[in-house]
Amino acid sequence: MSAVPALRLSHVCRQFGALRAVHDVTFDVMPGERRAVLGPNGAGKTTLFNTICGDFPPTGGSITLFGDDITTLKPHHRTRRGIGRTYQTSLLFNGLTVLDNLYLAVRGVRPNRFSFRAPKATDPDMIAARTMADRMRIAHMLATQVDQLSHGQRRQLEVGMALASGPKVLMLDEPAAGLSPGDRPELLKLLKDLPRDLTLVLIEHDMDVALPAADIVTVMKDGEVVVEATPDKIESDPVVQAIYLGGGH
Amino acid sequence: MTPARTTVISLIGLAVLVVAPLVLLAILPQNQAQFWTSNILGRGLVFGLIALSLTFLATYGGFISLAQMTVAGVAGYTVAVLTQGAVPTIVGGLPYALTIPAGLFASVLAGLLIGAISVKTRDIYLLMITLALAMGVFRFVETNIAWFNGYEGIRNVVGPDIFGLSFRSTYVFYYSVVASCAVLYFGILYLVRSPFGLVLQGIRDNPRRVSALGYNVGQHRIAAFGVAGFIAGCGGVLATIYNIGISPGSIGLGASVNILIISVIGGLGHPIGAFVGSIIFTVFDTFAATIYDRERFNTLIGLVFLIIVLVSPDGVVGLKGRLMALLKPKQAKEAKSP
Ligand SMILES: Nc1ncnc2c1ncn2[C@@H]1O[C@H](COP(=O)(O)OP(=O)(O)O)[C@@H](O)[C@H]1O
Ligand SMILES: [Mg+2]
Repeated sequence: MSAVPALRLSHVCRQFGALRAVHDVTFDVMPGERRAVLGPNGAGKTTLFNTICGDFPPTGGSITLFGDDITTLKPHHRTRRGIGRTYQTSLLFNGLTVLDNLYLAVRGVRPNRFSFRAPKATDPDMIAARTMADRMRIAHMLATQVDQLSHGQRRQLEVGMALASGPKVLMLDEPAAGLSPGDRPELLKLLKDLPRDLTLVLIEHDMDVALPAADIVTVMKDGEVVVEATPDKIESDPVVQAIYLGGGH
Repeated sequence: MTPARTTVISLIGLAVLVVAPLVLLAILPQNQAQFWTSNILGRGLVFGLIALSLTFLATYGGFISLAQMTVAGVAGYTVAVLTQGAVPTIVGGLPYALTIPAGLFASVLAGLLIGAISVKTRDIYLLMITLALAMGVFRFVETNIAWFNGYEGIRNVVGPDIFGLSFRSTYVFYYSVVASCAVLYFGILYLVRSPFGLVLQGIRDNPRRVSALGYNVGQHRIAAFGVAGFIAGCGGVLATIYNIGISPGSIGLGASVNILIISVIGGLGHPIGAFVGSIIFTVFDTFAATIYDRERFNTLIGLVFLIIVLVSPDGVVGLKGRLMALLKPKQAKEAKSP
């Protein structure tokens, strides 16, 4: 492998007190690669995302983004360098409109993000926010305050906000979590339509969703990586079968 | 409320304030009309400005600070210390054209400093740390003779002449106050549409997401306290001129808590609440003391405060929404019944 990995995790650990939520995780995500992270509840998947985006930085190991060490950077600096993520439970600005949520997401990576000047409707960032609403199929809700959205629309907005900054590496944490069967296809179509050259790390509980979307799959359990394989080998892997069929025992 | 409706209601409120002195002159004897204009409406709006700085922080950032009266005092003391003619002369020698901007600059600095000191705290901890700062400044000023003339304070800050008219004239004072309130209030309505204002509201709703989007949360918080410092400073300068001076009592515990009471009575959900609350407070403050004695006023305003908090946590401004919500299901039921 000669190319610089988009994301490189080396022996990443995260402890909460005595709990090893993530322990000694090492893998590379190459530019344009799509990696799925599977594992039972409490395996440490979300915590792994938190170490990468900086919400809970690693307590051990290191992380590089396109060769630059970002292990100790503040979350906002990581975002400015091209990491975008969604949250398992939506973290939206409930008191603002859909358009303002997306506009903030677009502005966050601009050099002039701190500004006292209200944007006009023709502001390029406003236009970008509208375009993103269109892509996320919530363009008809632009002026709606976010606490009025349905759960499905919130999930679509959640993905839109992560995409709006044009991240180089996109991390999606169970984007379809809690969606009703009626809302699911809409979101899955959104994910399918993501540009193929986007580097993607996807946490997904449902193998039927994760496997077709991924180039490579990491399976975690108790904070550690237990299997790394291509999607076609995953379902037949004995360890994976033990985790998924053996229940939580 | 939609932004358009807010603007309309605000403009109506402004129009009422502009014509109020004329209406008062028409229905009351001249000395009473002037008393209402300056001592009730004018004074109410001045303290409304200081409360506005708190309402701005609370409504859009979710920050409740007890140090806004202190910040106002920083502006007031700066003017009093520097202005020619103030008694006693501490630095003196400077005209209002310089000392008022200096006062506002000082209050912005004070706001930024308080914002920076409290940048990691929220909720009750923010309240406590701002209270501690306020009381620290109060004690320091009260005991420092060289710079602040101790508990006696500084007198004879009479205010500038505007276009040859004395600030001591009821109407010059009143309309200067109304103009300041209008500029700052509409300034806030503009500011909350700017990236800064939107980020501030984002911090209120979800600080973790704000930083995940690439914004520096601390920087925006500190800036918000700086903006609030400017607003409070305008109120502090006007209050000092209204009182013809400033003394430590005006930045003590009682005064600091009064700003919070004013904001809560008016409603922390919208900046207009600061003025509504302040005028209500001023009416009580003025007349309760003449009906009862001073101690009864505290009981009375405490009672009003309690009722507001229990009946309508978003204050008098939120009362209408609450009444509508109470009436609506009733109407719906009545419409359904044959
Ligand atoms: N902020 C936190 N503080 C303490 N423990 C945490 C925190 N976040 C996660 N954990 C713990 O870390 C473990 C892994 O959780 P998580 O990463 O959310 O798992 P997953 O996303 O795979 O379901 C769990 O035992 C969880 O309770
Ligand atoms: Mg999780």
